[in-house]
Amino acid sequence: MESLRRWWGRNSLAIALGVASLSVAWAIRQTQGGLLMEIYQGVARPLGITYTPTQRLTDARVRELQIRLTDLERQNQQLQGLLDYKPLRQGSAVAAPVLGRSADHWWQQITLGRGERDSVGFGSIVVGPGGLVGRVTAVSPHASRALLISDPSSQVGVVISRSRNMGVLRGQASNRAVVEFFDKDPDVKRGDVVVTSALSSLFPAGVPIGRIETIDLNKSPAPEAQIELSVPLSYLEWVVIYPGRE
Amino acid sequence: MTKSARTPLSQRIEHLAPMRRHLLNVLVTAGSVLLCLLVLHLRPPGMELAGIGPNWLLIWVVAWSLKRPVLQSVMAGLCLGFLQDSLTALEPTHALGLGLVALLTARLQKQRFLQEDFISVALIVFAMAVIAETAMAVQFSLVGERSLPDIWTYHQRVALSSAILSSLWAPVLYFPLNRWWQWMESLNQP
Repeated sequence: MESLRRWWGRNSLAIALGVASLSVAWAIRQTQGGLLMEIYQGVARPLGITYTPTQRLTDARVRELQIRLTDLERQNQQLQGLLDYKPLRQGSAVAAPVLGRSADHWWQQITLGRGERDSVGFGSIVVGPGGLVGRVTAVSPHASRALLISDPSSQVGVVISRSRNMGVLRGQASNRAVVEFFDKDPDVKRGDVVVTSALSSLFPAGVPIGRIETIDLNKSPAPEAQIELSVPLSYLEWVVIYPGRE
Repeated sequence: MTKSARTPLSQRIEHLAPMRRHLLNVLVTAGSVLLCLLVLHLRPPGMELAGIGPNWLLIWVVAWSLKRPVLQSVMAGLCLGFLQDSLTALEPTHALGLGLVALLTARLQKQRFLQEDFISVALIVFAMAVIAETAMAVQFSLVGERSLPDIWTYHQRVALSSAILSSLWAPVLYFPLNRWWQWMESLNQP
């Protein structure tokens, strides 16, 4: 009896701590680590620690969207086949490196490393990551020059993809452009997607251009909207040329 | 050692027949224009302000016109203007602006008012860049293809950025070319 009491006197603290730790661990286990997660996020958020870099998350999101897009494109192709509809963008595409920018400040142009030898011709459509880039305005055997859609003189017929309101896009030299609507009271909202219209004689229909940023409905003679072009025109390194338009 | 290794080229140039030396001078001058035309397409970091780079052809025209008679200057200005047209679009023409720049620079009588240093060259290039861009803006206004407010707000941006960058980069082109032309002239003197 005496020896038991002595043993308890020596080890009571250790046992109490052990039981306490066990019960805490058990409690955490039963709540599926909610406390730990809370503590982690409480510490990590102010320090800016995130488990995966956001860049990688964005990439994954982009990949998901790409997959969905390919799926939708395939579906669309099948449906178009049913309707016997002929897409404008037929024929082979040529990838071309962007070699240079415009040679003066009043024109928005790029020089591309593909020319007549690769069947690029005047009026060929240039598309980049994000959508429409411009069209070819000068060709030499191994190079060509494209007028960007951000150039004020390149006018593109566009349509708001949600409401099908039509307008004309006018470049504003940087990554911005202005759409002038034909309707007096167009149905547009901030964030609406703008694509080329079927009425455009220079460009095929349905190529993405950008998003609506601000809207000025009281502008005369026609209501206007400022759009942000979806292609990063200043950072382009490679584009795709669709030859075969005379 | 280094001196004997360096001298032959300059000595060989000095001992060339006048006709050949003249040809070499033409080649170097044309080569510098070609270089300017190619560099126009580039926008390396540090050579760019709001997407606008220095106007190398303008710098060349100013460098050429500073010590030359009016007629020669204007002809060079027109030539380079046409070359720049070929790189962008035929209308409106750059020849008008560069011709005007050449005329004004040649008439400036720099020897009387300004000294030969890179501050004065930079100042001249600054003013001339504004004049050249204004000539373009006026032409765009007359053509009437773009809207007037757009042209003139854009003109402010272009004129300022182009003037700043061109004047900063002017010495890079002006000094070697000026040295070369002075040397050639001194060799031509009997």
